[in-house]
Amino acid sequence: MLVPASTKTTVLSVRGLAKSYGNSVHALRGIDIDVREGEFLVILGPSGAGKSTLMRCLNRLVEPTEGKIIHDGQEITSKSRSLRAVRRQFGMVFQQFNLVKRLSVLTNVLTGRLAYRSTWRSLFYNFSKEDKHIAIECLARVNMDHKAFQRADTLSGGEQQRVAIARALAQKPTIILADEPVASLDPKIARQVLTYLKQVSHELGITVLCNLHQVEYTREFAERIIGMSRGKVVFEGTATELTEEILHRIYYRDPDEKDDKSQ
Amino acid sequence: MSAVTFDSAVARALEREVQVRRRRHLKLAAWSALAVAALWFSALQIKLSPVALVRGAGYMWDFITRLFPPDLSYLALLGGATVETVQIAIWGTLLAIILSIPLSFLGARNTTPHILVFHLTRLLLNALRAINELVFALIFVSAVGLGPFAGVLAVALHATGMLAKFCAEEIEGVDKGQVEAQMATGATHMQVILFGVAPQIVPQFIGYAIYRLDVSIRSATVLGLVGAGGLGFALIQNMKLFKYHQTATCILVIFLLVLVSDWICGKLRRKVI
Repeated sequence: MLVPASTKTTVLSVRGLAKSYGNSVHALRGIDIDVREGEFLVILGPSGAGKSTLMRCLNRLVEPTEGKIIHDGQEITSKSRSLRAVRRQFGMVFQQFNLVKRLSVLTNVLTGRLAYRSTWRSLFYNFSKEDKHIAIECLARVNMDHKAFQRADTLSGGEQQRVAIARALAQKPTIILADEPVASLDPKIARQVLTYLKQVSHELGITVLCNLHQVEYTREFAERIIGMSRGKVVFEGTATELTEEILHRIYYRDPDEKDDKSQ
Repeated sequence: MSAVTFDSAVARALEREVQVRRRRHLKLAAWSALAVAALWFSALQIKLSPVALVRGAGYMWDFITRLFPPDLSYLALLGGATVETVQIAIWGTLLAIILSIPLSFLGARNTTPHILVFHLTRLLLNALRAINELVFALIFVSAVGLGPFAGVLAVALHATGMLAKFCAEEIEGVDKGQVEAQMATGATHMQVILFGVAPQIVPQFIGYAIYRLDVSIRSATVLGLVGAGGLGFALIQNMKLFKYHQTATCILVIFLLVLVSDWICGKLRRKVI
């Protein structure tokens, strides 16, 4: 790293974020995180640690029970801010790619532009020349522009995820949220997709929050790591600081301790 | 190396399996007995009587022989009524398609703006489905007068109920991931429906609409019985005037029309799905 990470400005602060379902299920129990501008931050943790919930709170697909999220000096969680304005700043990449299967690759990427356009304009699937320009450029960045007119479900898993990255880029986001982006891909393709994600976001100065459960990929790609276990942050540091003991803390569950969900 | 055996676990599981099977058989026997009793009771209620059928066979034979031969010279006169039947079905189905698109989104749990709207829409759709086309036709004949327009409205309303219910269920079954991805881009509710939900249901919807067209053609052939135009009107007139040979021609044409419509709609459906 050329610039010491600590000198970078904070783009996103999370304070005391909590999410419970009913009285017994606590998905998040007070999360404090600072995300630095332009970094590739991996959130590492086992299934059920609350990584997905955390991400969905950030773009308000899930409403948190408590806490604050401040992005670019503005509080996202306040009800007065429009959902559209918040969500279009966060591009999202999913484990199951979630491309609209029956639409073309290009149309899928163009849906990244929807938040910039009125419902009326998009009623007949019309997009402006400017939007098409942006979409094709984003496809070119992940090397998928040659398949722009194919139906999304004709692509392989790795190709679909690259298109999904292009869709996120088309939003011109400040942050990309990648929720287990390679969990359904084989190791070779997984590395390829993570490489694209990291490279492209660096080129465009986009901050990436990437949920992973695999330690190897985390060591390989993360610039900084946040370890989560059972709805809490249990580690914050770099790959070299991720010792066996800390991994144990992230992944180990006391068998005597009761699972929240089974209570 | 000492061999690990699972004898006791296997024995326990086998014993359990026998119990489970016995319970299942008992259940089946009880339900079967109940079903037979219910069927027997209703057979008595509705006076199911093979004897009456045999006794009435003579009259039926008499009616059938009177129909023959169909009056083929009458065929030319039925051309207009046949075309009218198809027109009623096409317009009725088209109106149903237009009406059912908004209704199906209001009547699906995942796209309705409010749970109350959902329940009201489903109630409306169930009412439309519950009321037969003939009943609708009777109402519309008294409202807009005798003729094919009443038939169009009757077909449209009933088909709307069927089509919108089917479509609403398809909407409820869409892949949530594709929808969530659209929501995450910051799309409006309407944009999410257009780009995340609609592409997932369009082929099924078109397929079902074609099937409805086929059903509507069949319904339109009898709507004339209550004065709502089409072949049924010619059929009932001839029957009332005891013009058996012409009546037979009507039945023949209805049969051929249904055959052709089934063939064409089947081909169309296979093309879409």
